[in-house]
Amino acid sequence: MYRRLLFIGSAVLLTVILLAWQQGLRTPKPITLTPTLTGKTEYCITCHADLPEISKSHPLKTFGCVSCHGGERLALNADLAHSSMRGGANPSDLSVVEMSCGGSNCHSGSEADNRDHIQRVMTSVQSTYAGAIANIRFTFGAQTDLAAHLGINAITDEHTQTGITELDAFDAATETNPMVQKFGENCLTCHINAIPRDGDTYTRQTGCAACHSTEKHTLTTAIPYNQCNACHNRGNYDLRAMTFIERTDQPTKRIQDYYQPIAQFTQCEYTLDCVDCHTRSEVMGDGDIHANQKDIQYVQCQTCHGTMTNLPQIKTITDPNDIALKMAFLNPVLDLKLGDAILVTEKGEPLWNTRVLPDGTYELIGKATSQRFNFRPVMGTACEQKPDEQGSQYCHACHAVER
Amino acid sequence: MPELSRRDFLKLTTNTLLTASGLLGLGALFRFFGYQTEPPPQTAFDLGEASSYPIDSRTLLPNVPALLLHTDQGFSALSLVCTHLGCTVESKGKGFACPCHGSKYDIQGNVLTGPAKKQLNALRVEITPDGNLILHTD
Repeated sequence: MYRRLLFIGSAVLLTVILLAWQQGLRTPKPITLTPTLTGKTEYCITCHADLPEISKSHPLKTFGCVSCHGGERLALNADLAHSSMRGGANPSDLSVVEMSCGGSNCHSGSEADNRDHIQRVMTSVQSTYAGAIANIRFTFGAQTDLAAHLGINAITDEHTQTGITELDAFDAATETNPMVQKFGENCLTCHINAIPRDGDTYTRQTGCAACHSTEKHTLTTAIPYNQCNACHNRGNYDLRAMTFIERTDQPTKRIQDYYQPIAQFTQCEYTLDCVDCHTRSEVMGDGDIHANQKDIQYVQCQTCHGTMTNLPQIKTITDPNDIALKMAFLNPVLDLKLGDAILVTEKGEPLWNTRVLPDGTYELIGKATSQRFNFRPVMGTACEQKPDEQGSQYCHACHAVER
Repeated sequence: MPELSRRDFLKLTTNTLLTASGLLGLGALFRFFGYQTEPPPQTAFDLGEASSYPIDSRTLLPNVPALLLHTDQGFSALSLVCTHLGCTVESKGKGFACPCHGSKYDIQGNVLTGPAKKQLNALRVEITPDGNLILHTD
């Protein structure tokens, strides 16, 4: 009996040791990286060495993987290594963005240091969707005015300039009107933290990556118009059925790649990329809670072209810390230098991808295309625009291209 | 050839299994005790003979990364790690520029434009009795 037990025991012991040995052989030999930012060794590139550098501003050698993604830095087992990652494969998801992209040296902090990216995005209409929610609730009698009371998430703004100090979280389940409930169920797939609808055509990620990640594992400020299309041009709402109708056409030309029910465009509208004209505060928010898109979006034709009586505003860059220089550094489509004159918006935001040419005309360099566009001011031309009619529809009267 | 009894066969097999387990176990034990932890980052760099660096020379040391200066005041060195987030700054014009976020430093390492707020770190240079240069980054 004793010998039999010894035999079985030795066989089991050998099997266990062999299995453990085999497991050890299967574990890859770690490839180490010690990023200068953290000074802590991580093994992530043992498996992920094939990923492209995420951007010039986030070099792997400096940041490593863990400072943004989280995860178990010394694990060689995939499940364990990924177990504590932030936001899955997307650390910029707004639910974790403060831990991943925030920090006083990165994208969270004071407005004066231009580090308040996360705060601005969190309060922006792209995140709150406050205007759409207020409009639908007002339309169906769930609120008595068009003021913004609710957002996708609850948010506060202690230093409000708009008078809106807070939004409570919209919850479709607590709404009594069935149309508002349906709106909550079917129509909240555009705000930048919403999980995108199924399908490849208008695929995007969430959080910062919704706009800034145009290819796998990359971040860029050179955002082409079709990245914006992932939300802004992928179909239309059917308010009677309170659902979203995905576009099904397959545009072959840029001018056809608009689904909105307008048929006229000026050349700017179908040639430039959205980010060539729309500023960072319009797109990412200005730190205040706004009631709707109209309240934050202000760039018009006159911003670049001026009016019959006024040239567009320009400024000469004299401060080496000017934000325009920083933005041109991040996306060097032009060599912007101290002493260069650029156009600025009515609010003083730099249109850093423009410059004033010696002959009095202007040049805009496409942020995503590097394409150069020369354009003139309205003043001194035959244009008969009215000072109070500056919307694009008025410019269409003379400058429209039909599609 | 004498026939092996059942008892002897079991005994032989058991001994073989135990010996194999013992050897493998010992191997695993050696592997365990022989495990090399990650070495700490290098903080001292032997730069060779001091005489290799003539007066008024500026030598880029990319593997540190640092810039070694030899003036009539002696040896000094400047870290080329940007004080903002740790990227390696590059020599540009008469100073240095960070390729990641655009901070600029003058030739002494003072900040000209942010986002960096602190100047580049000065590093300690030691000359050993046998005339070798040791650069310390800690």
